[in-house]
Amino acid sequence: MKSQNKEILYGLYDDDADLLKAVKEANKEHLEVYDVFTPFPVHGLDPLLGISESRLHIAGFVFGAMGTLTAFLFMSWVFTRDWPIIFGGKPYWSVPAFIPITFELTVLFSGIGMVVSYYIVNGLGFGVDNPTLDDRITDDKFCIAFQTNGYSDAEIENLSNFFSKTGASEVSSKVI
Amino acid sequence: MNQFNFEGSQKRLFLGMIAVGLACMAATFLFDDDALHTRFWTNFLHNTVFFTGIAFVILFFYCASTLAYAGWFVNFKRVFEAYSLYLPVGLGFLLVIIAGIWGHFHHLYHWTDPSLVEVGNPNFDKVVAGKAGFINKNWYTFGTLITVGIWSFCAIKLRALSLDEDNNPDADHSQYTQFKKIAAFFMFFGAFSSAAMIWQWIMSIDVHWYSTMFAWYATASWLVAALALTIGTLIYLKSKGYYTSVLPDHFHDLGKYIFGFSIFWTYLWFDQFMLIWYANNGEETVYFQHRFEHYSLLFYANLAINFVLPFLILMRNSVKRKAGIMMFAAIILFFGHWLDFFLMIKPGAYITAQEALAHGGHGDAGHGAAEAGFALGNHFPGLLEVGTFLGFLGLFLYLGFNQLSKASLEPKNDPYLGEALHHEVI
Repeated sequence: MKSQNKEILYGLYDDDADLLKAVKEANKEHLEVYDVFTPFPVHGLDPLLGISESRLHIAGFVFGAMGTLTAFLFMSWVFTRDWPIIFGGKPYWSVPAFIPITFELTVLFSGIGMVVSYYIVNGLGFGVDNPTLDDRITDDKFCIAFQTNGYSDAEIENLSNFFSKTGASEVSSKVI
Repeated sequence: MNQFNFEGSQKRLFLGMIAVGLACMAATFLFDDDALHTRFWTNFLHNTVFFTGIAFVILFFYCASTLAYAGWFVNFKRVFEAYSLYLPVGLGFLLVIIAGIWGHFHHLYHWTDPSLVEVGNPNFDKVVAGKAGFINKNWYTFGTLITVGIWSFCAIKLRALSLDEDNNPDADHSQYTQFKKIAAFFMFFGAFSSAAMIWQWIMSIDVHWYSTMFAWYATASWLVAALALTIGTLIYLKSKGYYTSVLPDHFHDLGKYIFGFSIFWTYLWFDQFMLIWYANNGEETVYFQHRFEHYSLLFYANLAINFVLPFLILMRNSVKRKAGIMMFAAIILFFGHWLDFFLMIKPGAYITAQEALAHGGHGDAGHGAAEAGFALGNHFPGLLEVGTFLGFLGLFLYLGFNQLSKASLEPKNDPYLGEALHHEVI
């Protein structure tokens, strides 16, 4: 599923405060930021980039509810219809005895469901090779990237000026 | 506004609550009671234990957070300090209970009858005699005095250090270092001693019964109530224009705490219930049997209020950042955990009193004596119980707000103040 190659122009910053200022500046100039890469979560970056709240927790709730129902209904079926056994003189349908297992399956379904959802939504998984722009953005550099497919020379010049104006320590381009 | 002004209208409100409480307690004692004044004494014990425990656990939470190098809460740490200073007052109320044990004013505790542990006496009770090494008047008295005394000392000392830090700052944060030493001692001492005190104050009401989960369960109940009270106080003070530095992010973290600890409470409540239900030993099961039969509405309401409601209301993260709904959840949970303590204390004490009345004094006991019909106040909280609760709450808030007005609301030189002012969780 390889789409067209992306031409990326990116600048590296040495400091997260510089990065935040640069993103604000880019918003003011109505430049379309492709993505921002940082070695650690930078506070205040998400609202600037217009990233909405993650919906992962909704998936967590739905999978958890599925786990609850699966465990509870399955045990109810087993102990009342399929293979009724009397434990310690309790009734067949002993709800308190089901609760620990219901709880465990809720957590299990919710946890695994969220991991799988996360991997699918982000296109991650075994054998997926995601190119990095620069290895140092996983260490000590903060990166702003623009996608420049179909940009005129003047527009690229404008972006370069933006980087030098906002204090980027390095500017490069790469096709990924 | 960094200096809290304890206004006349607030004072009048709290004093009015105290007056209502005193009137209700007097009415309970004089008019609506049996010869042993069971309803009055159980209400007194219930509210004393509930509010003293909140003061204890709020100090415990404060110390634990400080020792964990947490910084997010320090801009409102004065609220924790102010409420923890209720401990000496709580000790005063406990002394009344202790005086009652020695002076036979009340029959809250079946084990105070000396004939139960006297070998050869027809009343001799093997189970009570086996526990008499710990469940006895001396342990109750001196254990309470020493334990709550040390808690009170720690509360006062930590408050003094915190104020000293404001007034006499130094470069190496000597007060903060000293604070951590006392906090570490308090964590260690408080964790063990609170369990012993809960066994004495509450669990020994049902003296034949015991549960190893009980101390944790009661402490979790206190903790949720204490956090609910903190949230309610902060929202109220913010609405008055104080604490502008307390952001939705702080409420978000407090909300996560009450959400998490509500589930922790449920976990302990259910563990205690399920193990007893499964093993089905007569001397343990009777505790729940009695509550099923005579307290069934409250028994399930307890779970609904303290587990189902907070679980569903507080689950979404945006909810924890909204003042209105957090206030709603805090009020529900505070009252819900008060009900939880009602269910811990009232049933056992009521049986003890019924048996003592039936036998004209201390009778041969054991549970299972015929339960008289429904009695408002003993089987379900009546208006007098709510009034008594309001009285204690009024006193607690009056003393807390009074302490708040004695120092600046935000500390000045706490090493973690900057972190608290820039707290951000999303």
